[in-house]
Amino acid sequence: MAAADAAIPAVFKPLRSIGRSTLGALRMVGGVGMFTLRGVASVFTPPWFPNQLLRQLVAIGFFSLPVVGLTAIFTGAALGLNIYTGGGRFNAEQVMPQIVALGITRELGPVLAALMLAGRVSAAIAAEIGAMRATEQIDAMRTLSTDPFRYLVAPRLLAATLVLPLLTLIADIIGVAGGWLVAVRILDFNATIYMRNTMNFIQGWDVGSGLIKAAVFGFIVALMGCYHGYNAKGGARGVGRATTHAVVSSAILIFASDYFLTTLFTHA
Amino acid sequence: MTAIPKLEWKGVRKRFDGPVLDGLDLSVAAGRSLVIIGGSGQGKSVTIKVAMGLVRPDAGQVLVDGENLIGMGGGARRKLFERIGVLFQGAALFDSLSVWENVAFRLINADGVPRKEAKARAIEALGRVHLGAHVADSYPSELSGGMQKRVGLARAVVANPEIIFFDEPTTGLDPITSAAINELIVDQVKGLGCTAVSITHDLASARTIGDEIAMLHAGKIVWRGAPTELDRTDNPYVRQFVDGRADGPMASAV
Amino acid sequence: MGLLVLVLAAGFLVYSLTVGGVGSKPGGYDVTAKFGQVGSLAPGAAVSVAGVKIGTVSEIKLDPKTFLAVARLSLDPEVKLPSDSTAKITSDSLLGGVHVAIAPGGAADDIKPGGEIDNTQGAVDLFGLIGSVMRPQGDPAATPPATAPAPAANPAATAPDSY
Repeated sequence: MAAADAAIPAVFKPLRSIGRSTLGALRMVGGVGMFTLRGVASVFTPPWFPNQLLRQLVAIGFFSLPVVGLTAIFTGAALGLNIYTGGGRFNAEQVMPQIVALGITRELGPVLAALMLAGRVSAAIAAEIGAMRATEQIDAMRTLSTDPFRYLVAPRLLAATLVLPLLTLIADIIGVAGGWLVAVRILDFNATIYMRNTMNFIQGWDVGSGLIKAAVFGFIVALMGCYHGYNAKGGARGVGRATTHAVVSSAILIFASDYFLTTLFTHA
Repeated sequence: MTAIPKLEWKGVRKRFDGPVLDGLDLSVAAGRSLVIIGGSGQGKSVTIKVAMGLVRPDAGQVLVDGENLIGMGGGARRKLFERIGVLFQGAALFDSLSVWENVAFRLINADGVPRKEAKARAIEALGRVHLGAHVADSYPSELSGGMQKRVGLARAVVANPEIIFFDEPTTGLDPITSAAINELIVDQVKGLGCTAVSITHDLASARTIGDEIAMLHAGKIVWRGAPTELDRTDNPYVRQFVDGRADGPMASAV
Repeated sequence: MGLLVLVLAAGFLVYSLTVGGVGSKPGGYDVTAKFGQVGSLAPGAAVSVAGVKIGTVSEIKLDPKTFLAVARLSLDPEVKLPSDSTAKITSDSLLGGVHVAIAPGGAADDIKPGGEIDNTQGAVDLFGLIGSVMRPQGDPAATPPATAPAPAANPAATAPDSY
């Protein structure tokens, strides 16, 4: 290594590191792409492991309910207060129920539920699969004639994609409830009329587009967890790094795809 | 040599950052137990991982019953794995599954054996490694290292494989537990009449479980012979390894 | 914990469906009012009596025969309006939205759910008014939009040539 360094003039060293990081980035994109294809293929081809799917549905879905619920109720309440204040600047406080409902169902419900899942589930998946990689359990599984993609990756991808829309639906309901609570308890709105305004205003597509987003986000969360866990290297530290990368990359991908999906839905 | 070897490495090469296997040629006859010894970082692990189909070599062939397994499709490879059992270094038990589910993993998930029957066979396999039925429902984390190794051994032998790989079977165990594990390995290999390939740097273990010993250095086999010849040979690599000297043809890894 | 969240969500969903479900339901009641001009009134706007909110505009559509705008108002069931009350579209502020202000009448009988407020006063075209004061000459920029002929004032047509 030292000999190779000496052979290259110092001027070219920055160039070389740029080249190396570019290659690294390309390799990563290619790696994620291949991993995605293999993951999706293993979702749709036998053998399937229904027990594993069930286990993941419970782990990813049911156990995420408390965090998702808490996030949603506080966000709905805060959103309500902000819209009331903002609306008050041009005497439009009465649009609060409609804006809260729209903001929650189209944007905040799916994104917040997905971010909570990124923190909770993506990290857990990366840590679990990463630890299995580090202790040769993945190798062991292959020698036991069982494809880790079908046994480990596919159930997680499928479970997260199915479950996040359901969690988002719950987040939508609880988020609206948060806004409603603030409106009724603090801002002296009439409870009945607030709800009627919300229900009259909200359209199927407001909720539906949020649920489609949620399915995409769910896939991203599980994919990033599996990818970083599966490719974890270097023992406990590698597992820690995989966990961090899984959370950060799923959060970024969630925001980016949220923008693109919203653009798509706005023009559709 | 008329009979086809059970397992054969032919000119296997593999590089990671540097060369790890450098044209490895090695074979083991059916029903024999081969032990590969060598220092750390000399390619022992890669040698058996190539044979297990977990690492793809850059060049060369790995033949099982004369059939090359490199470049085999997924289905054919799964079929091949049915004839192979592996005891991993850290036992590599699935910690989310109970002991019996670990042992019966292949039966349940690959062979489609009903759970009830699989459990019965798992308990029978645990019996073979002297573990009672009471551990069947506990989890790997509740067991000692030696017991985990035994469970790993039970998992390796439950489907009556033709070839078993042992990756450092005694690493991290005290001498008494090591001796017990070695004895179990010999029992199982002789009992099943299968071919065994082990890697280790524990000479006591190598002498107990090996019919033949091969010494790996810098990605090649530098010596091969019976356990009794270990002390008689004047091969400089073997002498240095057996006598445990820091000076010799092999540079210390540190 | 997860179950608790599910139960709460289900409970609120049931509440919102029974209370806020589109169509008839216990709780509020609907009345209609016809206006010659609704201006920027939109569903969701408030309905108030003496400045106190008692309901919202739930729907606005055009009656194809009379060309009047029909607003459906969802009102608090505790407020019974006399049958001769007047509904008036009023601006919240110079720039802000509008709401429906109801001036209660003195009749002995109340407007029944599903009934109609007969006395109405439509929206005033504020911009038209302002424009006519500032540029009475019918400058195209100040001409009120053709789609908003406010019944209260159409100054561009009526203002005399003052120069």
